[in-house]
Amino acid sequence: MDKIFVYAEAAEEGVADCSLELVGRARALADQHGFVVGSILIGHELRNWATELIHYGADEVHIVDGGPASTTNMLFHAKAVAEVVKAEAPEILLFPATITGRDLAPRVAVRLGTGVTADCTSVEIGTYDDPLTGKRYEKILYQIRPTFGGTVMAAIVTPYHRPQIATVRPGIYPVPSKDETRTGQIKEWPIGRAEEEKSCIEVLEVKREKRKVDLKSARIIVSGGRGAKPEGFKLIKELAEVLGGEVGASRAAVDAGWMPYDHQVGLSGQTVKPDVYIAVGISGAIQHVVGMKDSKLIIAINNDPEAPIFKVADYGLVGDLFVVLPKLIERLKRTC
Amino acid sequence: MGLNIVVLVKPVPDPKEPPRFKPDGTLDRLAMKLALNPYDKYAVEAALQLKEAVGGTILGVSMAPPHALDALREALAMGVDEFVLLADKRLAGSDTLATSYALSMVVRKVWSNLGKLDLVLCGVESSDSNTAHIGPQIAEWLGIPGVSYVDKILEVSAEAVKVKKIIEGGSMTLLVKTPAVLSIAGTTYVPRIPTLRDVLSARRKSVTTWNIDEVGIDPARVGLLGSPTRVVRMWAAEVKRKGKVISDQDPDRLVDEFLEELRKDGISLR
Ligand SMILES: Cc1cc2nc3c(=O)[nH]c(=O)nc-3n(C[C@H](O)[C@H](O)[C@H](O)COP(=O)(O)OP(=O)(O)OC[C@H]3O[C@@H](n4cnc5c(N)ncnc54)[C@H](O)[C@@H]3O)c2cc1C
Ligand SMILES: Nc1ncnc2c1ncn2[C@@H]1O[C@H](COP(=O)(O)O)[C@@H](O)[C@H]1O
Repeated sequence: MDKIFVYAEAAEEGVADCSLELVGRARALADQHGFVVGSILIGHELRNWATELIHYGADEVHIVDGGPASTTNMLFHAKAVAEVVKAEAPEILLFPATITGRDLAPRVAVRLGTGVTADCTSVEIGTYDDPLTGKRYEKILYQIRPTFGGTVMAAIVTPYHRPQIATVRPGIYPVPSKDETRTGQIKEWPIGRAEEEKSCIEVLEVKREKRKVDLKSARIIVSGGRGAKPEGFKLIKELAEVLGGEVGASRAAVDAGWMPYDHQVGLSGQTVKPDVYIAVGISGAIQHVVGMKDSKLIIAINNDPEAPIFKVADYGLVGDLFVVLPKLIERLKRTC
Repeated sequence: MGLNIVVLVKPVPDPKEPPRFKPDGTLDRLAMKLALNPYDKYAVEAALQLKEAVGGTILGVSMAPPHALDALREALAMGVDEFVLLADKRLAGSDTLATSYALSMVVRKVWSNLGKLDLVLCGVESSDSNTAHIGPQIAEWLGIPGVSYVDKILEVSAEAVKVKKIIEGGSMTLLVKTPAVLSIAGTTYVPRIPTLRDVLSARRKSVTTWNIDEVGIDPARVGLLGSPTRVVRMWAAEVKRKGKVISDQDPDRLVDEFLEELRKDGISLR
């Protein structure tokens, strides 16, 4: 049977949620259209994780143990994925559209001479009638993605090359429920050691900031950006307190040292979906927007009427946050 | 020391303007004003700062139709020394695999002309295709190390660069052998704004145009037919947001109006 493969990205304590989401999606597509779901796991001492992938829906897991150095060596990951895929010949190969996945997938595509679609928000299986050759292709992967900074959607296919590779945005599909009775095959691949690739790129230091704040479960988030300045964050914290919410921040505010990293929302921070998201002094760069656009209600306060954040907001207030916030806080305090 | 740096820059439809479509649903690229891709300005700025620190030459490279040259002049005005434009009708419709192959061939040719190459810098992603593929793919085609999402170039020597890169939940410091490809995502590289004088002198800088035969690019591997991916359909993204923007000079009225809107819509913030 044809196969759908998912690259299993590692998180601190196991397979990252973004990859489990893709295993879940692959499982759904497989059950509907008749595929086998496989997963590729690269790193060191990973058997427990492989079992976990099977419990979440994989039929087979391919492990490449490249020694301790292989957890962070992406050149090794690219090599290992390409070798396993060459041998196993899946029809479809999915990566999470994380910083890691978006680096790895295009590399693997070059190694295998195939196409890759970035940052999909949906993957479906369908029939493709090729206008060029007049041929009909069955069970083709439709890769749907935003482009032009999110203003245009595109449906893309890879009809003649295999595998069809796509990276899929985290947080689109749910993490499937775990079934500990599920069984599957685990295969270990003897593919070199990551040491060889070390001479090109050596990892000197890895800094991961532990998250103390969990924005994911917050019902209300008030976020500040570069426009807020340290003084503005005092107001932002006060508003968050009045509303019983958490404080978030843009990368610019985190880089400036006004807020710790675990408050960052966006591509390189957290993805959040609160009931209410209030963006204060944030311009609305696409890397910020991908982290908050699925909030139920979005409110933006910005003194630039052209700021892109207004395009994704339900309510926009054009004004100086240093004037608007105190008023808003005062009114909200009064209404309680 | 003197570094030979190639900077890849892409002309893109001005991100401030809404996209235009042709009646058949495809993008009408000719109707859209072109500008330099915002991230590529970060890459140009990074190159300029390296050159200021250790000396060298910066060569801009772009694959685009000839009419894009005006937008590319901005890179020259910022301080890029020379420019190579790969322009050829047969490139139209290239996807990222084909584009990265073609650009890697240009880099190869430039590399052999210069005798030595230290760095290829590009933006992390383009504002029109947002793939972030080209940097990592060029590294693969050339068989040299590549690092994507580079936040900062920390040190540079004759054989290696030390860079800080963004990862999920933090950062990583890497020592990378040169020549290497770096995709710049660093917002700390605030692009300099060219003066009128820079703009004028940019007009005198040399721009070489090559077609694919001059570079030795296989025509079967570029353009629509050389591209594995096909765009089936494009459509304007649906904005499901209410999009009520309130502006009032008077902050009291602004806030009142906002709270009144919420009340009307039956929304309570608390
Ligand atoms: C690989 C990569 C990953 C990234 N990851 C993230 C991420 O996870 N999260 C993230 O946020 N960004 C991320 N970014 C950065 C992103 O591109 C933007 O640079 C960043 O989001 C900008 O932050 P900002 O909106 O706070 O700042 P700016 O873009 O500088 O916006 C400041 C805004 O404040 C407004 N303002 C100023 N003064 C006032 C005032 N007095 N009252 C009201 N409004 C005011 C201005 O009009 C402006 O719109 C990433 C970038 C890259 C390349
Ligand atoms: N046609 C092109 N010409 C020159 N550089 C390009 C071209 N396309 C992409 N790039 C470079 O690759 C980066 C990533 O672009 P993309 O993969 O399209 O998101 C851009 O920021 C540019 O530096």
